[in-house]
Amino acid sequence: MNEDQDLQNWVPELSEELSLAHVIDLAVDYRGDVTVIKHDGSVAVGYMFNRNANGATPSISLMTPGGVEQPLSIPYADIVNIKFTGRDTAAGKSYAAYQDRKQKEQAPNAGSDQ
Amino acid sequence: MSVPASQAWAVTRYVLKQKLLRRKQYPLVLMLEPLLRCNLACAGCGKIQYPAHILKHNLSVEKCLAATEECGAPVVSIPGGEPLMYPHIAELVEELVKRKKYIYLCTNAILLKEKLDSGYFTPSKYLTFSVHMDGLREEHDESVCQSGVYDQAVEGIREAVRLGYRVTTNTTVFDSVEPLRVREFFDAMMDLNVEGMMISPGYSYEKAPEQQHFLGREKTIRLFSQILSNKKKGWKFNHSPLFMQFLMGKRDFECTPWGNPLYNLFGWQRPCYLMQEGYAASFKELMEETPWEEYGHASGNPKCQDCMVHSGYEPTAVNATFDSLSGFKDTVIATISGKL
Repeated sequence: MNEDQDLQNWVPELSEELSLAHVIDLAVDYRGDVTVIKHDGSVAVGYMFNRNANGATPSISLMTPGGVEQPLSIPYADIVNIKFTGRDTAAGKSYAAYQDRKQKEQAPNAGSDQ
Repeated sequence: MSVPASQAWAVTRYVLKQKLLRRKQYPLVLMLEPLLRCNLACAGCGKIQYPAHILKHNLSVEKCLAATEECGAPVVSIPGGEPLMYPHIAELVEELVKRKKYIYLCTNAILLKEKLDSGYFTPSKYLTFSVHMDGLREEHDESVCQSGVYDQAVEGIREAVRLGYRVTTNTTVFDSVEPLRVREFFDAMMDLNVEGMMISPGYSYEKAPEQQHFLGREKTIRLFSQILSNKKKGWKFNHSPLFMQFLMGKRDFECTPWGNPLYNLFGWQRPCYLMQEGYAASFKELMEETPWEEYGHASGNPKCQDCMVHSGYEPTAVNATFDSLSGFKDTVIATISGKL
């Protein structure tokens, strides 16, 4: 199991040990949608593809399902927390699934004697 | 030489112009990803793991052309995703041909015959189909996690060659390969009358499902030495011979991460085609604000230590050809003699 699989459905509890900046770093590396909770009570759901941690106003970039052409830019200062709500599409098992399928193809009658 | 003289000359002219302008960092090949969805889910690929709303998105032709202009590279490679699934691929290719860009359309060729039969494209010296082939039938179908794809790709290659298109193959080498089988594969591809072959060691994408079979540097060198030693005269490669010597451990190169910049729906990917450490809004921002010193083998960056992939090292090899008389001489000798 990799780190990303652990992140799916994770709701971080921010603390001195777990900063928002670190959660943002994890979110930008996460291959699923996230839910950004803001100080004004609103939320934004989408794929976080970028963050600018070192600019004058650190911010994240979010592609929402309805707004791929115009990504949202949200300042770090506006964010309360980030939930890892979308399915992690990189929690891939395609190679394992392929190997399983291949094994079944190669032994089509396996188990038929039982 | 496996590329037409006009292409070699266009690239040479472009590189010499950069040298005259004293530009130290310039792109050679734009990697243009108009979409991220694919009709395969290959084990070694880390490019397609995204939420559905991202995978459904297509870059507009206008954005693709604007990126091409902004970058200015003489060669445009169109990977993806699977570019033949991009609904505007015919228009994009036509526009790039008008701009005299040398296009490598990187495809798994599942849809190639269908598109060719539908009259999507017109043969041109500017257009090459670069078909993903990771080995002979057994190895390729294993690599793409689907049976029958090798045969479909061969059918597509045959049709494209028959119709007069330029066709190359693009092969990723993993540590499980048998050198003799790779050599047999080269024979098979040349028998299909492809113009040239591209080979590269695989890169361990963090998001790829399969992580066990990527190559470390020493193993890469050992393997490529076995594969390419006593290279047959009939084998044609779409690479600088200096890059191939690098793969065989005969040369030591440093990475040129800005050589093949990538543009997709997120913007200009930092720092390179393989690593995803954020995006720049413009090509200028990518070039000027990326901390390049943090990447490449010499930087000590652990993500770069095993990488010998062509997207980072082929531009170095091309630069080496023009940087010194000995580099130029070595390239000419290797090209004429066919020896590596």
